[in-house]
Parts: sequence; C-alpha cells; structure tokens
Amino acid sequence: MSAPAVVPLTRALSQTMIDRYASASGDFNPIHIDAAFAATTPMGGTIAHGMLVLALIAEMMTAAFGRDWLTSGKLEVRFRAPARPGDRLTARARAIDDDEGGSFRYAVECLNEREEQLITGTAVVAAPGR
Amino acid sequence: MGASLVDLAAGHAFPPITVTLPAAAVRAYCEAVGDEQAFYAEAGLVPPLAAAALCLGALLQEASLPPGSLHANESLEFMRPVPVGADVLCQTTLAKRSQRAGWVFSVLDSRLFVDGEAAVTAVATVLSPIEP
Repeated sequence: MSAPAVVPLTRALSQTMIDRYASASGDFNPIHIDAAFAATTPMGGTIAHGMLVLALIAEMMTAAFGRDWLTSGKLEVRFRAPARPGDRLTARARAIDDDEGGSFRYAVECLNEREEQLITGTAVVAAPGR
Repeated sequence: MGASLVDLAAGHAFPPITVTLPAAAVRAYCEAVGDEQAFYAEAGLVPPLAAAALCLGALLQEASLPPGSLHANESLEFMRPVPVGADVLCQTTLAKRSQRAGWVFSVLDSRLFVDGEAAVTAVATVLSPIEP
C-alpha cells in the first residue's frame, strides 16, 4: 500500500499565539513572552515554544490519519531554528516508506516563509487495518 | 515551585503528577496553537501533543526551568486516545544530564497513563544556559 499524501498546513505565528500558548501550557519561560528579556539573549527577541510550532506538524498528521494517529503515531524531531512572531509557518510531510512493516513513514519539517527549516524529523503511523 | 531543573541529578524521578484535562483547558490549547479541527471536539478527545504539553507545564510547577532555556529535541509516541476530562497520570524522570559549551543538557522522559494504560510517551531534550 502506498503511503497517502499528507496535505501541508500553513499558519501565521503571532506574539498573541505565543502568549496564549504560555497561558494554556503553563510554560512562562521569559524567552517566549518577555520582549525585554528575550532581547538580551542570543535569540535577540521572543521566540515560540518548540511545542507550539510542533503542534502544526501534529495537526497535519491528525488531519491525514485521524484516530490512527492518536493510537499509533510517533514523532521524532529536532528543533533547528527559532520561530518568531510574524513568521509564516508551513508544515509538510514527504513519504519515505510505503507500508514498510505495517506502517507509513514520513520525513516531516516545519519551515518559515524564507524556507528555513525550523523543525525536521520523522513521523510514523500504522497503516490502516494493522 | 521546587528546585531548578539544572540542580537535579540524572536519574531523578519527579513525584507523579495527575493532571485533569477539562474541555476548557483543551479548548484554550487548541485556540492557542490555532488548531480549529472539529475532530477532537466531536470525538471528545485531547490532542495528544496537548496532553504532553499540559503535563510538562504541570511539571514546571515542580522544577523550574532557568530563563532562556531552549527545546532541542522531542520524541513522542501516542498509544491510546486521551478523553477530554480524563485524569492523566504523568511520571517523569530526568533521564540524562550533561554540560557542554555553556549549556546544561537535560533529557526528560515522561510517561502518561490514562486508566492505568500507557497513552503517551514524551522524551524532551532541554538546553539551559549556565549562568556565569
């Protein structure tokens, strides 16, 4: 069985989203929400929580596989560069195995509008009926 | 709040935390990340990444992260859906700790259980700046 194509997702990132994510998750690290503090760090300004950016990849996989993703999904990623307020983020997946060992395997990534890789990694999900 | 994460030794097991994930918390998470899929609301389920993130947030009440800490790697496995309103038991261990180039590397290994069954595993590598 061929691995199904996964539809990319694009979303604009704002400081409001980052602030909301801090409140929702309880992660108030000032590098995300305090512009004055963040300006003193090597990042030079606020950056999004890694898990906030990763959520775009997870949303993309849920849209593609639904409940199968929730019961068999695996994600292994590296956060390569920061996502900043104003970035336009795109998550996409490219199949690298077709039903290999009963699962589909994808190279996943999240890019900004300059095509810089912010997150790279792999996603695996059981093939339906397995 | 408890000790700073960078002051803990490798192998440290955090006290188990039970986090209840009510609909309002799940809705707030989905709004924050911009996930407007009807799938979760219709199925009465929590996005698995939300379960991991909210448990991590609860853990940060037990061990603070130094300001300027960064998330370097994440490995997740989803084994069963987490229903909205479920009590999620989160067991976390500081699996590894090292220092390199002015940063402390901490690997947090979390196991999330619902009704006694494993639901999510999350292994996070966090970098924290070493203060001069």
